[in-house]
Amino acid sequence: MSSLKPFSKLPALNSANILLVEFEEQFQLSLADALVEETAVTVNVRLAKSLPLPKENEESRPRIDLVVFIVNMMSELSFQSTEASLKHLDPGFFLGKVCFMVTNARNASVPTERLDSVRKLAASLHCPLLFAEDQTPAGVTNATERLLTILKVTAGHVPMATALYLSNLTRCTVPPDIDQPSFD
Amino acid sequence: MDESVKTLLQRLVRRIPSQMLKTTLDKWGRLTAEQQQALDLTQPKWTLMENLWAICEENEWTLKRITELEMIYIIDNPDQGMWYAYQLLDPEDDAHCVELTQFKELFKYHLRELVRHVSVKIKKHTDEAVWIRIAWGDSFSRPNHLKPTYVVHYLQTPYVFVTSLTSKHRPLLSQALVLSTRYQTLKDANLSGRKLTAIRDLLMRQYQQVFPTKCPSPLAEKTHPALKKEQAGNAANRRRMATEAFGDGTLPQIQTAVYKLETRFKDPTNRTMSDREEPFRCVVKFSSNNLLESLRDCASSGFASTPVTPLLSSISLKGKNYFVVTDNDPGASSQTRPQN
Repeated sequence: MSSLKPFSKLPALNSANILLVEFEEQFQLSLADALVEETAVTVNVRLAKSLPLPKENEESRPRIDLVVFIVNMMSELSFQSTEASLKHLDPGFFLGKVCFMVTNARNASVPTERLDSVRKLAASLHCPLLFAEDQTPAGVTNATERLLTILKVTAGHVPMATALYLSNLTRCTVPPDIDQPSFD
Repeated sequence: MDESVKTLLQRLVRRIPSQMLKTTLDKWGRLTAEQQQALDLTQPKWTLMENLWAICEENEWTLKRITELEMIYIIDNPDQGMWYAYQLLDPEDDAHCVELTQFKELFKYHLRELVRHVSVKIKKHTDEAVWIRIAWGDSFSRPNHLKPTYVVHYLQTPYVFVTSLTSKHRPLLSQALVLSTRYQTLKDANLSGRKLTAIRDLLMRQYQQVFPTKCPSPLAEKTHPALKKEQAGNAANRRRMATEAFGDGTLPQIQTAVYKLETRFKDPTNRTMSDREEPFRCVVKFSSNNLLESLRDCASSGFASTPVTPLLSSISLKGKNYFVVTDNDPGASSQTRPQN
């Protein structure tokens, strides 16, 4: 089983590489369009539906600095696909180079258990959990900015900050009473 | 006699939307120039009705004239109510020589033989379709013009499309059609939908179909050089298989697909249900505004596994949307093999 490795290639000058993994392949397109607009750094965006990635691209693929899993709360399939993809990632990535982004979390038809499971997953892997709004351009811009902030750190462009350090500060935590029934 | 004319006219005026009323009346052409001028179509419908009723009495329109108007409206706006497709089987030797006048005479004759009081109107439309309006009565009552059946038949093809037909009148219509078209039976084609144009296109294969090809597409998508899709090959494959199964471009708009399952229950973890001898009867219904479009999208985005299962692709390949699925029964005409 081939897995994506974080440190097997050399980094390039003044560039950052991000991999967006999303089952629906919708939000990643708008995010990608916004991410490549960044001028300070050359951002290379790779898009995938799920992991593992095809072997043919192995040679041409640059070193991935940040892997973002986009999970749509409205679809159980999206979450299951993410869980399955996680197995194909080298454990070295989980030291701050993985991030979860969740969309449609505010929707009333989303069962609360699903959001709790995503939270527990992110917390167990020590990764940050971001919530994004994908329907409006403002939401896309907002999500892009947050991703760029994390990406710059993981690509090493921010002095005195590393991916591991940042993830310690931003990682998801679950409240101790997450398994208690809520009152809403 | 007067009352029924008035009721029918009232129904029509209520039914036809205001913006279409002008074109429909013009096409009908039964209003004189002054009457057309005098008629103000921006008025509310009940005023319009009063004016039309006055014109009707002035021109002495009969029921027949009003049904003409109804027919014109329906022919131009056929996408109302549910249309059902039927197919004629076992042609006689001269079935392909049946032409319009012969069909018209024979149909009217046979239907009148079967039902004493029936009102039949036949009109040929520009695109080779023969439209038939039937108002049914019986031995004791006059034809009911408020619930007519509309039939569309394409001469030289075995296809017939029907709307608003009750089960009581179905054998009568069936018999009349069979005798006038020189076939032996009329059977249900298992296809229904709200849009006549859509089911006609689906059944008569008049939509864009795709043939498998190994040539790459000449137009490449223009994307930013820094943007790379990792699994573009997979996505292209899925898209190709989806278009092969369902077709390319605009697809005919059907609303439902119904699968009646008569298969045995199969679940290795549930012994009590699986050990039963008789089939587990179940009906699965897919519904959507544009079913074929959604199924094609499901296949190309990966929601439905590709290659597309024959259960789904038969909808467009066979032109049906009602299937009875049984276990391993090849060779039965209206059944599809379930995917294991």
